[in-house]
Amino acid sequence: MQLVGLAVLTIVFSATSRADAAASSNSAVVAKLAYCQDCHGQSGQGYRGFFPIPRLAGQQIEYLENQLRAFVERRRPNPIMSNVAHVLSPDMITALAAKFRDFNPKPLGGGPKDLVAKGERIFQDGVPEANVAACAACHGPKALGYEQIPHLAGQLYPYLIKELTNWGKERGQNPAHPDASFIMAPIAHSLTKSQVDAVAAYLSDLK
Amino acid sequence: MLTRPRLRHAATRPPNKRRLRRIVKVLGLQLTLPSAVLAVAFATAAHAKDADTTVSKQAVEAKIKYCEVCHGPSGQGFQGYYPIPRLAGQQPEYIKNQLEAFDERRRVNPIMFNVAHVLSPAMQTALASDFNKLNPKPFGGGQKDLVAAGKKIFEEGIANTDVPPCASCHGPEAKGDGQFPRLAGQLPDYVLKKLTNWTKERGQDPAKPDTSAIMQPIAHGLTEPQIKAVAAYLSYLQ
Repeated sequence: MQLVGLAVLTIVFSATSRADAAASSNSAVVAKLAYCQDCHGQSGQGYRGFFPIPRLAGQQIEYLENQLRAFVERRRPNPIMSNVAHVLSPDMITALAAKFRDFNPKPLGGGPKDLVAKGERIFQDGVPEANVAACAACHGPKALGYEQIPHLAGQLYPYLIKELTNWGKERGQNPAHPDASFIMAPIAHSLTKSQVDAVAAYLSDLK
Repeated sequence: MLTRPRLRHAATRPPNKRRLRRIVKVLGLQLTLPSAVLAVAFATAAHAKDADTTVSKQAVEAKIKYCEVCHGPSGQGFQGYYPIPRLAGQQPEYIKNQLEAFDERRRVNPIMFNVAHVLSPAMQTALASDFNKLNPKPFGGGQKDLVAAGKKIFEEGIANTDVPPCASCHGPEAKGDGQFPRLAGQLPDYVLKKLTNWTKERGQDPAKPDTSAIMQPIAHGLTEPQIKAVAAYLSYLQ
């Protein structure tokens, strides 16, 4: 009896994923997109909810794909995003990433304007005496990112602060599940709180 | 007849060996002490830039980790927004020259200027030596179908445009020698970018001549397909 139950469940679940895979039809993607937009904003510009929900507009496709996979495999622990990512087929992931790449709304802004100049200096020049590499060296001078390196321009101020402050806790820490984002760990560790604030303020206003 | 009065203690003895010794000692000090001071002063002045002639192991290790953030684990290179070159196995003299060139803006790169500007000569030497010892796999990634053509250019040059074989200066295995850089295992996009932009970035200012000017006619003589071929070949060299 239990075996039958198990078999039924297996069939139901595989049918669901087959349905997803088969239906990377436009309507399924549009429907899923609307679902993402509920939290991430109408044009993927991000949203300041109870949690700061990041901007996805203009994001690098490879980066989005990597993060969705990381959520599923729990290399990046986030219970809400694990559930979201878990039901997405590879085709759907690719389609969603491509859609978000094309959005280009104004940045949400809202970071303290008086920190922007300091943030720009740190972003472009790094802090060599403190062994902090220039963000621009990998993220590009306009923070557009490249392939697996995320686009940061216009990202939410509180989101950037949260990520940089908690990098060790959330990303690339488990030696059993190594993650490419480990590369950010020494930088996040070396940045002081005021430096993080400044960089976040600079990026949050960047188009 | 008056006899010499008996002296009660040494200090009042007439000039003799003791006083002579004292005179020599004072004269000696008068000569050597200022010379010593001058010697120290000049030595300090000469090494003013080498304020720390030694650098702690900790500081070097921390700095290497910082370099690796951009240049990749073990200095293997990194394809970011910019192609960031492999440093592993690089000739120490070449690394030192480039760091100095960045600092003096003979080689124009705003990010590397900031990096190099805070490095003492002792630190530069330590970094160059440590990176030279690293040996990760080559970066790879070059177009495989161009490798054979690239090998030919590397070993034979291009006679009709006066491009000498790269091997003649960079070595038959592209490991470099002294101030000639190692090219083996280098990022193909980096090689492409440097060879196509040689004059923009290096050895151009007559007021600040740079030995890398030697590459200018070669970079100029290579066509882009030839550069891509050489870059592809080099990217797989161990």
